[in-house]
Amino acid sequence: MNEHRILSRRVLLKTMAAAGAITAAQLKWWEEPLLRPRRAWGAAPVRFQFSVPEPKRNALVDSLVQRFNQIQNDFEVKVEFVPQAQARQKLITSVAAGSPPDCCQIWDNWVGEFEGMGALEDLTTKAKDWKHYKDVLPLAWQTVTVKNKIASLPWVVTNDALYYRTDRLKEYGIAPPKDDWGFDQFLAFTKAFTKTDKNQYGFGMRGQGTWAVLYATEFMYANGAQVLKDGKVVINSREAAEALDWYLDLFRKHKVCPPSVPTDGWRGIVEGFGRGVTNTYIHNSGSAEEQKGFVGEQNFSTVPLPLGPAKKRNSFYFSETLTAFNKGKSREGAWRFMAWLMEDEPNLMYTKGLGLLPSRKTLFERPEFMQDPAYRGFIKSFPFSIVSPYLAYAGWGGKIDSEGVPLFQQALVGKLSSKEFLDKFAEVLTKNMS
Amino acid sequence: MAREATLVAPAARPLLSRRARELLTGYLYLIPVILALGCTVLFPILKAMHMSLYNHVLIRPQEYGYVGLANYARLLHDETFWLSLWNSFLWVFGSVSFQFLGGFAAALLLHQSFRGRALVRTITLLPWIIPGVVVALIWEFIYQPNYGLLNDILSRTGVMTERVAWLANPGLAMPAVIVTNIWRGMPFFAIMLLAGLQAIPGELYEAARVDGASVFQRFCFITLPMLKPIIVVATATRIVWTFNYADLIFVMTSGGPANATQITSTYTLLQAYSNLDFGYAATLSVALLLIMLVFTVFYLRITRGLEGVA
Repeated sequence: MNEHRILSRRVLLKTMAAAGAITAAQLKWWEEPLLRPRRAWGAAPVRFQFSVPEPKRNALVDSLVQRFNQIQNDFEVKVEFVPQAQARQKLITSVAAGSPPDCCQIWDNWVGEFEGMGALEDLTTKAKDWKHYKDVLPLAWQTVTVKNKIASLPWVVTNDALYYRTDRLKEYGIAPPKDDWGFDQFLAFTKAFTKTDKNQYGFGMRGQGTWAVLYATEFMYANGAQVLKDGKVVINSREAAEALDWYLDLFRKHKVCPPSVPTDGWRGIVEGFGRGVTNTYIHNSGSAEEQKGFVGEQNFSTVPLPLGPAKKRNSFYFSETLTAFNKGKSREGAWRFMAWLMEDEPNLMYTKGLGLLPSRKTLFERPEFMQDPAYRGFIKSFPFSIVSPYLAYAGWGGKIDSEGVPLFQQALVGKLSSKEFLDKFAEVLTKNMS
Repeated sequence: MAREATLVAPAARPLLSRRARELLTGYLYLIPVILALGCTVLFPILKAMHMSLYNHVLIRPQEYGYVGLANYARLLHDETFWLSLWNSFLWVFGSVSFQFLGGFAAALLLHQSFRGRALVRTITLLPWIIPGVVVALIWEFIYQPNYGLLNDILSRTGVMTERVAWLANPGLAMPAVIVTNIWRGMPFFAIMLLAGLQAIPGELYEAARVDGASVFQRFCFITLPMLKPIIVVATATRIVWTFNYADLIFVMTSGGPANATQITSTYTLLQAYSNLDFGYAATLSVALLLIMLVFTVFYLRITRGLEGVA
């Protein structure tokens, strides 16, 4: 009986030791282990909502929060994980119910909506007095400035570029794309990459979600089109229609895209490339780390989007923000936590772990970003990157997804011409300029 | 010596008659049910009706206000709503009719005695037991054009040479999601009808056999009439469920591509949770309620009396 009890205890101790070792291994990336005693009693709680696009981020954010809670005694951050698909409505309903979290992580295209609801804490004064204010890229500040007020801290930034398979490039004897390539070379490149007998396609076009429309708009901008001009929606211009026709023909006429395009959202294009079905796709740097695991670090690279017939091009630049709410119960705690997340170590941990780029110049210019081929296309695109024109009006946020995307899909499958789609889309945008 | 006499005081007349008290007690017992139904059914319906009269877009709290029937006028001019209504009809009719036929065939087979019948019955129930979202994910993988199971089988067997985009082609997306729903809903009919088949007295079949009735005649004149009450109730229930069932489509296609699979329930979800337009979403819900009420009244009228045959 006693012997049995001793053995059980041993087993228990061994299990605990093993669990400790595994936990320590998980935290090995953290330079300083979690040794410091816990905070003092009476630390004010700070609610932080984090929207999760992929489970990998949970552990990372949990570690960051634990770390913050250990290095100071005044506040205790409690993180609330919400799936990304539900994050926007959960935040909006909590604001409407008068009980928002103290702060949250959201994409910049939602910031305008919250500002429109009068829900955001104005961070202008605090941000301008903050020690890293001048170190943050000016374009990053633009993404979070609404009506001349700084509404958020730009935690990380990114823009769009083209991912392509370097191993298959060599296999098929295709010349690598140059940074100043054009539409024709892009088409030839994707055609050469299409091997339907091997179930491989040259371009993983996105057909679902807001960015399906945004990527198409980048090609329209390359042909000299604009979304807004002199306060009017001009996305249905001739230049826009021509460029959109060319873009959609990649799927409709040239068949360089997989048949699944109309239902391919973010996961669809990332997995399509990762599984080897597509050989190129447009996305931000956020899937670079994932692709290193899928296709191998040495087997892909990135390049800027092609120049259009108008010899122009843009890459839409956006940020993942840290945003505080004016009805939050711990506004000072929210600011302290958000500012801490922008510090060197936590910021590098977050960005490097996820393949996003830091918004602070001193971090952004470090060799791990500047010399990594996976980021090359994004860094080369910075000189011509602009803040997404769809951030101009808060009312456009949800409408692009709910009305713009179904219209775009109709153009994609040939139910609407490019011009018809753009006319209807311009109507949607004009109606929601608020 | 005078004797004292004690008079019995007359019994006080009760405030309520015995019949009234019994009636009141009965109603008192009903109060918990009335409260529960009132809170969970009646209040949400009334609240939805109330919300449908307001401009209630969560991201525009400044514009909140009474708009009368403006949301209903918008609904009448909303092309996507009418398209979604037509799609709902295809979705319900396509799903329920084939679920019924498949379920009936399965019930007739499962009614026979054979070895391993219990196991087969359990397996038949599986699609019904699996949560709708999981079913949607499984079938999404089956239909995946680039590395999905269906295209792989069809191309390996030489049935097709080009990969088919089952969910991305507007002409195929609706049939594809209907097939998934048929697979999911067939066990419901199979189990309901099997229970009905087991309740039919064997003597009826014996008598018919003695009278020389063929298999087909026995099916038409005994099985079908005896099952009619179950068929009426099960079909009506299933139609209402399917009309309001959004999980499968929401996960598999989100109503796309190009609204090809947009049914009224997914469209309502889109308005509520993407546009956060609760006023218009409530209007759509009220419209759905009215459509279902009209359907139920019509259906019960044409099948009047059938449910009481057995």
